[in-house]
Amino acid sequence: MVSATLGSQTPGKVYPDLPDQSPLGAPLDWAWLRGTRSEWGIHPKPSARGLTMMDIAVGSYAEVPEHPPHRSMAPRGADVDDSTADMGYILNWKTDMWSANVTELYEEAVARQWSATRDIPWGELHELPSDVEHAMCQLCTLLTEVEMIAADLPAKWMWRMNHDFIEAKMFLCTQIMDEARHAEVFRKRALANGGGLLLSRSGPTSLLRTIIEAKTYTQASALMHLLGEGFVLDIFRMGELIAPTDVEKRIFRMCMQDEARHVAYGTMHLRYAVDHDPDVAEEIHAALDHGEQVLIDFGTAPDVSTALALLLAGGADQVEEKGFPLATELTKKQLTSYLARCERAGVGRLERTTIPLDTLGIDVEQIRAAGGGQVAAR
Amino acid sequence: MTAVDSVAFFDRLADWMNQHPERFAPLGEAEMVVVVVMERDDAGAFRVRLVFDGLSCTGVAETDEAGAAAADFRLEGPLEAWQQMFADIGSHGHAIGELTINSLALVGDRIACRGDDPMGLDKFSRFNQTLQEFFDGSAALAVTTG
Repeated sequence: MVSATLGSQTPGKVYPDLPDQSPLGAPLDWAWLRGTRSEWGIHPKPSARGLTMMDIAVGSYAEVPEHPPHRSMAPRGADVDDSTADMGYILNWKTDMWSANVTELYEEAVARQWSATRDIPWGELHELPSDVEHAMCQLCTLLTEVEMIAADLPAKWMWRMNHDFIEAKMFLCTQIMDEARHAEVFRKRALANGGGLLLSRSGPTSLLRTIIEAKTYTQASALMHLLGEGFVLDIFRMGELIAPTDVEKRIFRMCMQDEARHVAYGTMHLRYAVDHDPDVAEEIHAALDHGEQVLIDFGTAPDVSTALALLLAGGADQVEEKGFPLATELTKKQLTSYLARCERAGVGRLERTTIPLDTLGIDVEQIRAAGGGQVAAR
Repeated sequence: MTAVDSVAFFDRLADWMNQHPERFAPLGEAEMVVVVVMERDDAGAFRVRLVFDGLSCTGVAETDEAGAAAADFRLEGPLEAWQQMFADIGSHGHAIGELTINSLALVGDRIACRGDDPMGLDKFSRFNQTLQEFFDGSAALAVTTG
């Protein structure tokens, strides 16, 4: 027989009658009952919406180390045995993937999940003019193609992230689910109204390859969250504007909510990284130098620009008079939003970008002001 | 009948939201502070601060320019544009076409979405369906729109 003591909850309590062998004769270990170095008895209280990840971030469980001592899948806060296996993580610094808002964004993502099957009023689709249906199907073809990059990319890196940064990994899991749903909803829309999937050419590929082949996660995050998803967020906003029926309105609004969360994570991840490791800024700039070029190639690819212009015009008849001028105006807003987010992320691009700011009439001072916002890093 | 440029109108919208969790629960919780600015020719701007917390609108209060600047984002436009938006909602039961709040703010020539922090501005997108549903609630109210 061995005796066991129950940690700090009832210090000194002894269980003298515990067996030291199982009924089959195997040795038993009661170390978990004898008391560990983990914090015991913290009693987190649920908030109005339930027990959130923020609610349980108390005591030592709220402490996210800058550089965890272990590289195992042990949950942060557990009493980790020194013999626990090394999982081979390569992203072992908090600056590698953390963002100050990541826990809140995880809860937001979980709370705001939706179903492409159930939450879109598919029954309200009605026949559209052929040119408009073709343009919508072309846009959906493109979006079905590009959305999964934002699932593949975190999947590529997550298994290399130290498990102590569990909140960041959990958030990236929600992003993967979001992107699966986006691919689903655009595929469904392409097929649901009598059209189908249309043309896929090499235009988007260089952007997608640039993202997936980024050398570091932070570069990948800059390319995907800040640049790519920021750009797609504005395409979703345009999609809502040009939606021919309430069905597409709803699709684009739901997708833009998800996409904006991803952008919010990426912006604040870069901010966290740059604030804690200023040397990383150059690494991000180098990625964006190239990324902006391939993004412009992507944005001006014929299948993207023509489909959007036709939808903005409401049909083929006014594509030159209305469609392209409105597209140009919205591109200006798109780039303004992107450059403002760069300022906020601590990687101001105004002195470095090759985007023709003057030609596009982009207000540089408005963008510069965006860098003033501060979020306390934690 | 309630004029849209009044705290009373937004109080009623908040009450409507808070009494209809079945409309908002499927969308999930939202956290944002929004200021609606209605520019009037004769009476100066009307500014109302709306606090969204969880599934509720928990705060409605008239505010000033400084209060507006502290919001996550501001939705600014002439009173006529807001009246047009709410009239459209009243006619159709919800906003349609170019008169949804996203469409108006994206084009930006009638109602613009402004803010000093991109993170606050992006909440307009993160919680857009909730915000649209909130405005669509005016279809259930007796509203003066002109």
